[in-house]
Amino acid sequence: MMEKDKLRKADIFSGSVIMLFGLWIISQALDMPMKDSWGGVQNVWYVSPALFPLFVGAMITLLGATLVRKAFKIVGRQGFRDVIQWLGSSDLARYLKTPAVFRFYAMVVLFFSFVFLNIPRIDFFLCAILFLIVFITMFYFDDDALLKKMLYVYLVGTAVLIVFFALGLPRALETTLPYAGDWLTLAFIVTYAIYAWTLIRSVPALRKKYRTALILAVLAPFTIGPIFKYFLLVPMPMEGMVVAVLDALWYWDF
Amino acid sequence: MMVFERIGSFFGIVFHLAADPINIAILFGSVLMGIIFGAMPGLTSTLGVALLTALTYGMDTSMAMVCLLAIYVGGTYGGSYASILINIPGTAAAAATALDGYPLACKGEGGRAIGLTTTSSAIGTTISMLFVVSISPIISYFALQFTSFEFFLLAFFGILISGTLTSPDLVIKGWIAGFLGLFLACVGRDLLQFYPRFTFGFSELDSGVEVVPVLIGAFGIPQIIQVLKDRFQIGETQKLQRIIPEIGTVVRNIPAIIRSALIGVGIGAVPGIGEDIAGWVSYGTAKNTSKHPETFGKGELKAVLASETANNACVGGAMIPLLNLGIPGSPPAAMLLGALMLHGVTPGPMITFEHPTFIMEVAAILLLASMAMFVTGLLLAKQVVKVLRIPTQIFMPIIGVLCIIGSYSLGLNIFNLYLMLPVGIICYFLTEMGYPIAPLVIGVILGPMADENLRRALMVSQGSFMPIFQRPVSLILFIIIVLTIISQFDWYRRLKDRAMAKIRSRGNTCEVILEENESER
Repeated sequence: MMEKDKLRKADIFSGSVIMLFGLWIISQALDMPMKDSWGGVQNVWYVSPALFPLFVGAMITLLGATLVRKAFKIVGRQGFRDVIQWLGSSDLARYLKTPAVFRFYAMVVLFFSFVFLNIPRIDFFLCAILFLIVFITMFYFDDDALLKKMLYVYLVGTAVLIVFFALGLPRALETTLPYAGDWLTLAFIVTYAIYAWTLIRSVPALRKKYRTALILAVLAPFTIGPIFKYFLLVPMPMEGMVVAVLDALWYWDF
Repeated sequence: MMVFERIGSFFGIVFHLAADPINIAILFGSVLMGIIFGAMPGLTSTLGVALLTALTYGMDTSMAMVCLLAIYVGGTYGGSYASILINIPGTAAAAATALDGYPLACKGEGGRAIGLTTTSSAIGTTISMLFVVSISPIISYFALQFTSFEFFLLAFFGILISGTLTSPDLVIKGWIAGFLGLFLACVGRDLLQFYPRFTFGFSELDSGVEVVPVLIGAFGIPQIIQVLKDRFQIGETQKLQRIIPEIGTVVRNIPAIIRSALIGVGIGAVPGIGEDIAGWVSYGTAKNTSKHPETFGKGELKAVLASETANNACVGGAMIPLLNLGIPGSPPAAMLLGALMLHGVTPGPMITFEHPTFIMEVAAILLLASMAMFVTGLLLAKQVVKVLRIPTQIFMPIIGVLCIIGSYSLGLNIFNLYLMLPVGIICYFLTEMGYPIAPLVIGVILGPMADENLRRALMVSQGSFMPIFQRPVSLILFIIIVLTIISQFDWYRRLKDRAMAKIRSRGNTCEVILEENESER
């Protein structure tokens, strides 16, 4: 959490966003049937589906406005002007480039690419290994310069995957190269691992961390995945190359 | 006669559960897992319950409850390890324990302190279990008299009180978080007319937002981001000596234990208030009532005993409104509610009719969990402490994978992930800006209850709000809600202070007159 004086300044903005959000809820609720008929049923206001959202929207708007007022009272006009000035100054750009914020970007990129790009398209085991190897090495090395370099490489690899899937290549290559997306991801994992190694090979302490990261990145999915897939009978979000191999081993008729 | 029957059936259930070796294995495994989750700073018992919910999906309800309650009990207790040995609370619940636990460890009495937390936590859980068994039928009986207005007001009160007491900054932020949760609960087709609200044409949203993935996102993702963004490091651990149960200290402090347990149960029963508040209140009370308050903060065993008894007693306390009213008493209880719904159990006043032995079963599991925690704590504490050496940068990404696969596996729906991640990121920003997450979660859970009951009540009264003022329970709840709200305004505080000053000055005048009369005589 932020410090108290910074919080009050931030409250003006968070309160405003919340107030606007409340107004949006009210506007959406006003489009819902209030007194007209819906599905052949004549409505009265107290059974309308809009009633509760209107109440919630009104409360959010009211509370947001109260928060803005309260924060404004503490911060004052000068404080508010300072915040506006800060938003337009180079200090903001400098803040957005601080190591802590960069670490935040790295995590958001990793999570979003994992959930929205990889999980629906790539074998779960492979995308979990990719996620873990990048995530653990980025943060376990505890070096912001290395984190930046690794993030850029990851972004390049992710861009390649986006182009690959956007062009519909997995389907086009299906007959000639089954599991094309999985093979590409495997290549991505290997490339990333080699790149990370070249970055840290001269530092003995990081070499040990690298080995640990690599082992855990492979071991964890192969521990978690089979529990869900074979013991809890949960099919993986995407079953590709690795699941096919595991299935062949698991259901092998001895 | 009925009391003996109930005691008989309770022990029958305890033996039935304990007779199954699989149950025992799950019980000890979950308690151990809970202790590890509690001990690791950055992981919480709520997250533990959330992640385990996915694994219990295929189990029968009773086995799932063994699993989830055991991790809840273990997690609440496990937080004391990090508090005592590294001065960083493993969970918020153990924050008060750190004040005296760490100085004890520095004096070379870490083993003694952990022995005491193990014993007092087990006693706290057991006493709270007694309350679950004894109070539940009474609350259930009264809850059956409730009408829709009462349920609406109760849900509204739950969100307000949770917002008021859990907000780390301004109270208003807690209320905003609660209403944001209520908004999330509005998403989907409404329960009376099936009108699609805020679905934007996504058929996946028609049945509303899935509670468990939202909860996993709300508790898991912000935790991971915070720990790794702020480069949280676990410090050097103090040495741990032989762990002894400290029965002598416990026997000498029985009144203090009972007081702490009552505080824990009472606070646990208030909707949405967690173990952390119970620990602090109990610590404060112990200090205020102590003959030597100056020893608090310097390694006082009574302080450790007070906070640890209360936070574990909170577990049972949180079960009371959860089981009888369908209102979770704490964030992990909110997760439990989600899990119960997945297993087709709807907590509320009807639970005693729909699942007659369920409350007894929960109480029996609490008893078994406290025993398992006691044994595991005494035997494996030295081994568990080793997990404090694992760097956060290693286990947090793995927790991330667990959050994702866990959210997906509940319903086998990738859309759950599309929902969980943005909710998690938004919750991270909210946390950074001082908004508590517990009221948001309580809002998501109580939203459908509030919405449905408000409209049903108005349907019965033909749009009139008068029944609120005509029914005693409604009126009491309404007055409490109004007082909770206006107590946050400055003008109310000024008014109250002025009134109190007047009463005091009148009292003084009366005393002076009485003294004068006496001297005249």
